[in-house]
Amino acid sequence: MFKQINKSSTLYKITLSILLFTTFFLISYKIYFLNYQFLDLIPSIGYDVEVNIQVSGHEDDISISTYLPSSTDHQSILDERSSSGIFTTQIEIDGLNRILTWKAKAVSGTHIVKYNYFVQAEHIVYTIDENLPIVKNLPPYLQNFLKEEEGIQVNDPLIAQTLFELFGDKQPDTLKALKTIHDYLQNEFQNRNFSGFTDALTALKLKEASCNGKSRLFLALTRKIGLPSRLVGGLILKQGSKKTSHQWAEVYVRGHWIPFDTINNYFGEVPKNYVRLYYGDKVLFKHSTNVNFKYLFNITKKLVPQNNFKEKMYSSPLNAFNMYKVFESIGISQNLLKIILMIPLGALVVVIFRNVIGVETFGTFLPALIATAARETGVWWGLAGFLFIIILSAMVRKFLDYLQLLHSPKMAIMLTVVVISMLLMTVISVQLSLFDLAHISLFPIAILAITAERFAIIHEEQGLMKALRISFFTAIVILAAYAVMSALFMQSLIIAFPELLLFLIVLNLWLGKWVGMRLSEFIRFRKLIFKGDS
Amino acid sequence: MSLLKKYYATYVQSMQNAKSVLGMNRRNLDYVYPSNPRKYFEYANDKVLTKTTLESEGLSIPKSYFIIGYFYELKELESSLKNYSSFVIKPSCGSGGNGIIVISNFKDNVWISVSGKEYTFTDIKKHISDIIFGVFSFGIDDRAIIEERIIQDAYISKLSPHGLADIRMINYQGTNAKAMLRIATKASDGKANLHQGGIGVAIDIQSGHTFSAQIDRENISLHPDTGVKLLDVQIPNWEELLHLCENVSKIIPLSYLGIDIALSDKGPIVLEVNARPGIEIQNISNTGMLEVLTDINLRSSI
Repeated sequence: MFKQINKSSTLYKITLSILLFTTFFLISYKIYFLNYQFLDLIPSIGYDVEVNIQVSGHEDDISISTYLPSSTDHQSILDERSSSGIFTTQIEIDGLNRILTWKAKAVSGTHIVKYNYFVQAEHIVYTIDENLPIVKNLPPYLQNFLKEEEGIQVNDPLIAQTLFELFGDKQPDTLKALKTIHDYLQNEFQNRNFSGFTDALTALKLKEASCNGKSRLFLALTRKIGLPSRLVGGLILKQGSKKTSHQWAEVYVRGHWIPFDTINNYFGEVPKNYVRLYYGDKVLFKHSTNVNFKYLFNITKKLVPQNNFKEKMYSSPLNAFNMYKVFESIGISQNLLKIILMIPLGALVVVIFRNVIGVETFGTFLPALIATAARETGVWWGLAGFLFIIILSAMVRKFLDYLQLLHSPKMAIMLTVVVISMLLMTVISVQLSLFDLAHISLFPIAILAITAERFAIIHEEQGLMKALRISFFTAIVILAAYAVMSALFMQSLIIAFPELLLFLIVLNLWLGKWVGMRLSEFIRFRKLIFKGDS
Repeated sequence: MSLLKKYYATYVQSMQNAKSVLGMNRRNLDYVYPSNPRKYFEYANDKVLTKTTLESEGLSIPKSYFIIGYFYELKELESSLKNYSSFVIKPSCGSGGNGIIVISNFKDNVWISVSGKEYTFTDIKKHISDIIFGVFSFGIDDRAIIEERIIQDAYISKLSPHGLADIRMINYQGTNAKAMLRIATKASDGKANLHQGGIGVAIDIQSGHTFSAQIDRENISLHPDTGVKLLDVQIPNWEELLHLCENVSKIIPLSYLGIDIALSDKGPIVLEVNARPGIEIQNISNTGMLEVLTDINLRSSI
């Protein structure tokens, strides 16, 4: 008897050590030799931008156009989606700009067109060397960025006079010139929240302007002093809906267009929440005059893996992205692999809830599987759908009980009921435009049927309150499993270090030998434990 | 500061107290798994096997009248069953008391259960078919046991007038470790089941004296329905009961056991055996059971 225990505990220790060693060997190998970095795993913030346009016409031909952002070193534009209804769409390239045009003939009534894209941007700060002279003989294409334009009165005497007031007779170097002009606009001018057109001179005279007036004046001053500069139009990304766009300036220094925003005091830097939509002094929306036109930007903040995470993973060996290639070659989606990889983590959450906290749930892994399926429905709809199906099926089972059926055919009926109720929920939720809930058909059908059976048995043997209590705790555990499984950091971690699955086995091996009291048992036996002196 | 110290002292004391309580994780890992090999679980789960095993060694169990595992046996049953006016029908592999019918009378070809329900032979045949088909045992084909209905000891009947009381004995490695009496109430519908509103009464192993009683985790001293005193009561035939449990543990190849004993008019009698006995008995007796179990383990390993 005792020998056997020793043997099994030696085996246990060996298994544990091998798994631990393998995990930590692989992780350290990847960190020290393959240059994996934990910082790469921390998710970054991205924004889903929806351009929402409402037009109405009376049998008119309608044309609307706007600028779409392009990917640059500062911003990545991903996942573009268009929903244009009766309109045809066309995207043209005009220099650095992308122009999207919606067109339709004889439009009557009100229509909504949408265009979505996902923006993930970096905070970029440029440093400008001191003592860089302002270059005199610029190549012809840069000369264009020194010229006077409508609203940017480079050659007006007032501009020259302002520069004289700022610098005197001395020709400043590039950094000095930019710093002085930037500070002048930043400190001496009032910011105004005015959406109309303001030209450089008006801004200068009033000593106040909104973004477009300030940036035009910035352009006039920098161009006059000999620094090529251009306007940039874009959006400041913030959760919510907005109409206001933003403008700032860029100055060409030694091969780089360096951003300056004198409204929000960004000197040579562009923050994470700016997205460039177009270059030049443009109007963001153009439309044929015969329409009633309204637009709105709906912006949703989202956590996403860092920009370069995917590429880094693809180019390094020994991670789950390498497996993706294998999966893709046989037509299985990456998403599925990602879900499969997270299930063991969900299972660990369930184990902790059951064996350490001590709550009763339906099924050992049902909560993890429901949490997995809830990725498609959203967690609250997932929970609602789960509870609805269980309770409905349990009611059916109660009815079947009166008929006194045999186990297998009865379970087959329950399964059918689960399938029917899921189909009905899908159809009804599409009717009600609850598209998330419509994904409920991804639920594990057989497990739901078995759970409904368990619910009914517990209802019968231990009462409805007990069955509802277990349902409640199951819902809590689903929530917890969902939170852990959908945490981006966890996902990136397991994708980069899939050997952590071995570590999950280690944790379960340890929990499998853990004889400590469950937290709920401290409550159950509170009279024995918290009674003071024994 | 002194308040903090006081809290800390309470915490230390509580953790100390917690060490004497057997939790679910430890019950499974240290007691059920090493003591009760999976392959012998059927000695507890299959009541026919439990009964034949104990009966072959001459231990008292309710006398089996019929054991029915096939439908053809039902044909012969009708004429023989009419000789019995009082019996119990139960599934061999049922759980939680489901599928049990207790018949107490036979009149005009109709059997009457203790709760007053009437059964014709067709009804009884239907019930037995359900048992055989596995309606009460998760789809596994089962056998129906028709056995003697136990007449409860008169003294115990005073304590438990609403149904059959039983004694749950925890026996570890042949030693009786902990015992409680479970009493049916009106609320528990004649079942002596703690989570269905039955009363649990702790019994001192040495003397057979009751010393603590609970219903729904509340301490009581009198039966809530009858007002009969529950504490400081001597369980009759206690020595014989202890001896019976020791014998059960010698015969059944499981060494961490919950043994359910009824006190009949003919003395203690084994109802069933449980391979995963619950841990609620600690609340009933207001004492943890881990120390007793470790003591037993120490003694046996010397």
